[in-house]
Amino acid sequence: MGTSDPRVFDAVVETLGELARDWEYGEPVTPETTLFEDLGFESLDLVVLGTSLQEKYGRLPFTEFLTEIGERNADDISVGELAEFISMHARTSVTGDPR
Amino acid sequence: MTSRTVLIGLDGATFSVMTPLMERGTMPFLKSFVEGGVQATLRSVVPALTPPAWTSLMTGKRPGEHGVFDFFQKESPDSLYLKFASSDDVRSATIWSLASDQGKSVIALNFPLMFPPPAINGYVVPGGWMPWRQMRLGCYPPGLFDRLKTLPSFNPRELALDMKLEEKALEGCEQDEYADWIRLHIRREGRWLEILRYLMNEDPADLVALMFDGVDKLQHLCWRFIDPELRPADPTPWEQEVIDLCDEYFAQLDGIIREIVEMAGADATVVIASDHGFGPSRDVFFVNTWLEQLGYLAWSSENEVPEETQPRLGISQISRHVYQLDWERTVAYGATPSSSGINIVLPKTGDGQVQQAYSRIRDEIVAALKDLRNPVTGEPVIKSVYTQDEVFAGPFEALGPDITFEMHQGAASILRGDEPIKVRDEVAGVHRPEGILLASGHGVRAGVSIEERSIPDVGPLLLALLGASIPDDVSGRMPLEIFDETHRGQFESSLRFHPATPPPELAGAPTEFDEEAEATMAKRLRALGYIE
Repeated sequence: MGTSDPRVFDAVVETLGELARDWEYGEPVTPETTLFEDLGFESLDLVVLGTSLQEKYGRLPFTEFLTEIGERNADDISVGELAEFISMHARTSVTGDPR
Repeated sequence: MTSRTVLIGLDGATFSVMTPLMERGTMPFLKSFVEGGVQATLRSVVPALTPPAWTSLMTGKRPGEHGVFDFFQKESPDSLYLKFASSDDVRSATIWSLASDQGKSVIALNFPLMFPPPAINGYVVPGGWMPWRQMRLGCYPPGLFDRLKTLPSFNPRELALDMKLEEKALEGCEQDEYADWIRLHIRREGRWLEILRYLMNEDPADLVALMFDGVDKLQHLCWRFIDPELRPADPTPWEQEVIDLCDEYFAQLDGIIREIVEMAGADATVVIASDHGFGPSRDVFFVNTWLEQLGYLAWSSENEVPEETQPRLGISQISRHVYQLDWERTVAYGATPSSSGINIVLPKTGDGQVQQAYSRIRDEIVAALKDLRNPVTGEPVIKSVYTQDEVFAGPFEALGPDITFEMHQGAASILRGDEPIKVRDEVAGVHRPEGILLASGHGVRAGVSIEERSIPDVGPLLLALLGASIPDDVSGRMPLEIFDETHRGQFESSLRFHPATPPPELAGAPTEFDEEAEATMAKRLRALGYIE
């Protein structure tokens, strides 16, 4: 596991904010925004979003991440938790530079 | 031949449903299309499932050759973890990329395994398990989503699949939910047509392909109202409403097909294909419960897994095996209900005791599957059983299940059942291997049925119709018999082939287990009595 990259963290939050404009979500997306309760995600949304984020940030242990969420019966996950996970594991920074 | 080529995909379409619809007058255009063209049974791949089957059409190859086996894929041959199957898992050139590379333009709408979207010479709006919230990310080229948003009826919520509704369709839903659900699919097909209409008007393409999956969805839930042999003779008002709505869906689909054919122009060749067929189902086979009874699987005691009393498949439970099973005492498990597959948690190759146990366990499970009987009827439950190397031979076979089975008339469940086989109260529709192939156009024979073809045959056919060269490693064979004698020779002499690009190396190829892992497996097998 690497160290958290604040640029990646901010980029993930920004990406979700841009996508949320298609979702008729009227509030600003912040690290505290929750994916399921606030943004109305279903589990497949998270899986597909993970595929897309891996296109951008390189291979992530996303399946393990999702399985761990399922195992602890977590009710929800915040944008900040997702961004933190990606920023810890991203192989490329937000600028596309290999880390 | 270089005229426009059109592919209309009808997910799950089968002659046992389509022919009566044509004969009853519900699909008059399709009837005239068949009378003016060629028809054949189109045999799917194993498993007869949307992702591997459409990928076989797109590549001209079988699952072990293109790498897609299911909606979810093993991360590597020995991994317990599954990941969402994406376009990255298609490890072969596709008709979209091959046509693009040869200067042809492409419109590809609503096909699975198209996310993340491939950069082709044209347009992609992905289908399959593509949630509406991510639709922007799936459209290609960038900016397409914003263009589509200007269309009057554009509604990504209804264009994409709603997984909660899809799960209901597969697991069964309340009577008062049927009508709205069918109407949703009627609207949905119209929304896809509107996108095609817009793109054909703005920038018509050489290869135009649009897939409609409402056929599959309706047949899963409403099979007993669609199959002429099962339709109630004296329907209740609710049953009549469902029957009428199903007919309305197919009548609308007929009109959509007519409009696409007319849009394509008189010179176009149109191919209509399904990825698999359909048939009735009552049995639900709780594969992990059965493996538990035979001693190959144990549920984790730390995570209490409730016993399922209803005949449910477990669509929403995929990936839970990672923590629901006791891996010290499990050597075989079913990971997804869709794959009808069993994975064996042992290395396949080598000559040690562990590897020998692999073969022994695999052969035992295969034999037991063949012997499995429905406890009520005494009839065999399993129609065919295949080992990995029998059915998935190719560079990616290690990613497929170790054992794959086809049921006579049933579906697999991965849940922990209170008994291995349950019978549904109502007949549901399930996939069968026999799909449909129809073709009509310049030089295509009229009103002729030809012998059964295989779904990998369609990819080379589409490339050839486009005048594009075909990779020399496809498994599909050109169905030359669809053309009349005058054009067959001309068509055959115009076929061009090119050396295929070698497939990529399989990442995470079968593991050479370290001593610790080998010792764990030996312990597991010793407990089961396979090694001393």
